[in-house]
Amino acid sequence: MVDEKQLRDAVKKTISRDDVKYVVGYEKGTSGFLVSPTFAFTPGDADKFIFSPLCVNNLAVYPMLEDKPPLRKGEEPDTRKIGLVVKGCDSRAIVQIIQEKGLKREDVVIIGIPCTGVIDPKKIKEKFPGQMKNVDVKEENEKFVITIDGKIHKISKDELLAEKCKHCEYPAPVLYDILIGKEIKSTKKEDYKEIEPLEKKSLEDKWDYWEKQFERCIRCYACRDACPLCYCKECMVDLLDPQWIRRSVNLSENTAWNLLRAFHLAGRCIGCGECERVCPMDLPLMKLNKKIEKDIKEMYDYTSGIDAEEKPLLAMFKPDDPEEFIL
Amino acid sequence: MKEKFEPNIIGFLCNWCSYAGADLAGTSRIQYPPNLKAIRVMCSGRVNPIFVINALQQGADGVLIGGCHPGDCHYERGNYLARRRMAVLKKLLEYTGIDPRRVRMTWVSASEGKKFAEVVKEVTEDIRELGPMQHFRRENKW
Repeated sequence: MVDEKQLRDAVKKTISRDDVKYVVGYEKGTSGFLVSPTFAFTPGDADKFIFSPLCVNNLAVYPMLEDKPPLRKGEEPDTRKIGLVVKGCDSRAIVQIIQEKGLKREDVVIIGIPCTGVIDPKKIKEKFPGQMKNVDVKEENEKFVITIDGKIHKISKDELLAEKCKHCEYPAPVLYDILIGKEIKSTKKEDYKEIEPLEKKSLEDKWDYWEKQFERCIRCYACRDACPLCYCKECMVDLLDPQWIRRSVNLSENTAWNLLRAFHLAGRCIGCGECERVCPMDLPLMKLNKKIEKDIKEMYDYTSGIDAEEKPLLAMFKPDDPEEFIL
Repeated sequence: MKEKFEPNIIGFLCNWCSYAGADLAGTSRIQYPPNLKAIRVMCSGRVNPIFVINALQQGADGVLIGGCHPGDCHYERGNYLARRRMAVLKKLLEYTGIDPRRVRMTWVSASEGKKFAEVVKEVTEDIRELGPMQHFRRENKW
């Protein structure tokens, strides 16, 4: 359980600094089981900050979303920092962006929260359908406590926990300036159990499975927009010359898009699961990401988003990399 | 009468080694299948996986990427980087049900005309066996 008073104090302290532009965090949502991202521009705004097991969103997207219009003559660039409230997985996204030199370490102030697991919004919606009023969720003794209209529901953690949290190896932030509460260690281990059955299938069966999935894709690019690591100024699908992937929504273009999206995150995806969460068609995108994560762990013994000093996976090499596939 | 399937293979050959190797195979009059359509790139590290997927979309049944032997790259590290990229891409393709034998990579130096011919022969035979690429071919080719 995160001490919200401590969190608000930390936010207040951060936003009071002269060199901080704003702080991004979570606030109470307006309906159902929602929690929405919020910005604090003044110390007074800090009072609305919360942290509950409903905070699934990865706020590491925000520093990369900021518009930087060309400066007018004589105008000085705004070099103030951005404050961020991060969980374990979000902090890995920040580390990965810093590693790729998308951000500088001194550009961000990281308020780290040791996270004991968040709720999958899809699962809780299924459990309590039609919930319109905003609900508070707390965590007590390995159980989620949900209070709806005065009635208290205690539900075991396994039932509602998001998939990404079930195998989370880094619940505590990897990189932070201020830590709320105590640091925690994970006892879980990523064993890639979910993708194993699919891996073992024959090529035809695998294609049958993925064909059905890719056919459903409507190419809204929500997966790209929600991903903290998809921050290219111009995405390859938006290019018109050369137009690698055409605009039409059909199996061919959808497959190309989904494969290339997954490939562009090779060695960078930190497994926050945002792509799958925002997908309106419920495509199992994390199955693609996890597969690549597993492969690079096996082949190159590399885990993304741990060490900001390391070089990105596909920008470095070792002379003895595996090459049994080469003729 | 059913026509015999002739595979369509795109070869991305590096300017300094594989392309010169292909050239040598030609000047030494070594026979190899005419199914390979060579595209010269300056380095195997130039080959973006988007090229490979796009080739498969546009009608190629297979893709061959040729680079210099490790350590011989004209740009010192291009082929090492390409090796990592293609290793990941091949695993991803296999996972989605596309035979990884459709995407091949090879090291051919400028003096290995014979090896080049053999590689092309092997790849062509493999892909002839696999049949046409039908997974995600683009339907409108205009």
